[in-house]
Amino acid sequence: MVQPSYTAPDRSRNQWLPLGVAAAVAVLLVAAWSLLNALLPGTERIRAGDEITIGEGGGYRASLSLPQEGWSLDVGASRAGQSYRFHRGPVDLTVTAVTPVGDPPPDAERLWEGMGDIARAGDPTARLGDPEVITTEQGVEGLTGVLRSRTEEGAAVLYPSPDGGFAVEMTLGGRDATTADLEAVADVARTVVFTGEGER
Amino acid sequence: MSGAPEDPRSVDTRAARVPAQRTSRTGAPGPRRIPAPRAPERTLLGYRLPALTSMVLIALFCLLGLGTLTFQLAGTVRVFFAEAALGLVFGAATLLFGFWLFRRIRPVRAPDLPASLVAVLWGMTAATGGALLANSALSGVWSKTMGLAFTSAWGAALTAPLNEELFKLVGIVLVAVAFPRALRGPVDGFVLGALVGLGFEVTENLIYGLNTVAMAGGVNGAEAVVQTTVLRVVLTGFGSHWAMSAVAGAGVGLLAAAGWLPGRRRAVGALLLVLTAVGMHWLFDSPLLDGFAGIVFKVLLNFAIALAVYFAFRHAHRRRVRRALAREGEEVGLRRSSAVALARRRARRRALREVPEAERAEAGRVQELMVEEAEDRAFANRV
Repeated sequence: MVQPSYTAPDRSRNQWLPLGVAAAVAVLLVAAWSLLNALLPGTERIRAGDEITIGEGGGYRASLSLPQEGWSLDVGASRAGQSYRFHRGPVDLTVTAVTPVGDPPPDAERLWEGMGDIARAGDPTARLGDPEVITTEQGVEGLTGVLRSRTEEGAAVLYPSPDGGFAVEMTLGGRDATTADLEAVADVARTVVFTGEGER
Repeated sequence: MSGAPEDPRSVDTRAARVPAQRTSRTGAPGPRRIPAPRAPERTLLGYRLPALTSMVLIALFCLLGLGTLTFQLAGTVRVFFAEAALGLVFGAATLLFGFWLFRRIRPVRAPDLPASLVAVLWGMTAATGGALLANSALSGVWSKTMGLAFTSAWGAALTAPLNEELFKLVGIVLVAVAFPRALRGPVDGFVLGALVGLGFEVTENLIYGLNTVAMAGGVNGAEAVVQTTVLRVVLTGFGSHWAMSAVAGAGVGLLAAAGWLPGRRRAVGALLLVLTAVGMHWLFDSPLLDGFAGIVFKVLLNFAIALAVYFAFRHAHRRRVRRALAREGEEVGLRRSSAVALARRRARRRALREVPEAERAEAGRVQELMVEEAEDRAFANRV
């Protein structure tokens, strides 16, 4: 009985075509998007006093306004409603909204510990110091402390929303930032505002 | 052609009972074994070298993907080790069940084991690692060009369907080239595509679980992982990555069956299947139809599309194999209905149970050979 051949030469050569196309697509996907992303300008100027919504949860929304001129938003490293990264000279400011799970929601001290763990996940040498109470200009209480790693030293701030539905976490630092640089923008940490649904 | 009534392995086909292949034939000198068609792996330039190259590329991309995942996740796993372990346990359970299920749905017989394992491995490492890099870069592009608010709403829908579906597709194609006998038609493409998607889904579930721990403030991490798993396996698992890449894989199967040089109709069919997979992913990630009911609708829609594609190609696959089995049966002197019934796993098992235990292993081997040859014959001119 005659079997059709598997090895017709015109077809057998075709195996190289899908192989080449597949490999090229995989390389191109990573290379092309990375190159395009690197070529595009990635910062957006923020004017002093501009209100930036950080996140919302439960019945509250948190916003922030940067009191100084000279801040810029790292658009590529930010996600609306979740995390924002700002730069001002050598100073880096990261603001993140976290939404704890579990009922009842964890208190500020537990969130502080969790914030320390997240910092260690990003940098094994990062450590959060003991927290102290801090109050926003609005009067909302939170915690603040020193954030220290092998390469930099800065401050960490945590504000749980009034109903505990979410929290705003901030880190202020920068590898080349001096103490004077950080002190010049320290009041940023107090500009977080929580707005209830009825107040909007 | 009729089987010998005294042959204990010859059964009433109305009861769908199938004999193992007879070792003798009434009035004939014995079974005529059909020489297996020349395996595609046996030609160096045509198949062996591309297959070897493909395996090298698969290994390279898998290592790169694994390295990327390790680099991205190592810190989080180190700090949230218990949560990561929990995610791994859920992932292992998903993987084992999915691996069994998707290999089981291939008609006639399970797909080639090494090809199945490589498909899953590609999904777990190369596709997820590559997509992680590509998604991050493309999300950055959207944020910079369209703004944060737009990207927050539409970024996932404009990023993941393109990068992730293509990375999974690349894996299916590479597996098809590395294992040319394992992917010879749309059904094989569907099954191997589902396995690539399964691997992708398992790793992505782990990544999402760990991301949720961070988004929950690093507190009650186990609860965050459980919530993520329930959402992504129980609620959306029916219509997520496996379904999308299975549909795209069927398209790859169409192309592979035509020796990668398809006619216009086949090429359009393959393209439509790939675009359907991308469209399924796009709708799944888009902010349209948000909310619980909307998500359930999207999941069911994807599931229905995958099922429709599967049953359409499964029917054709079984028909071809049954036809080939009938011809095999004729050549070895087996009743047509008995030979055709060998296309079903259950019928083969039932037939084996009727064979004396001492001969069962050999009968099983003969069955396997006959089915394998029938599949070779059914898809021979398609390789």
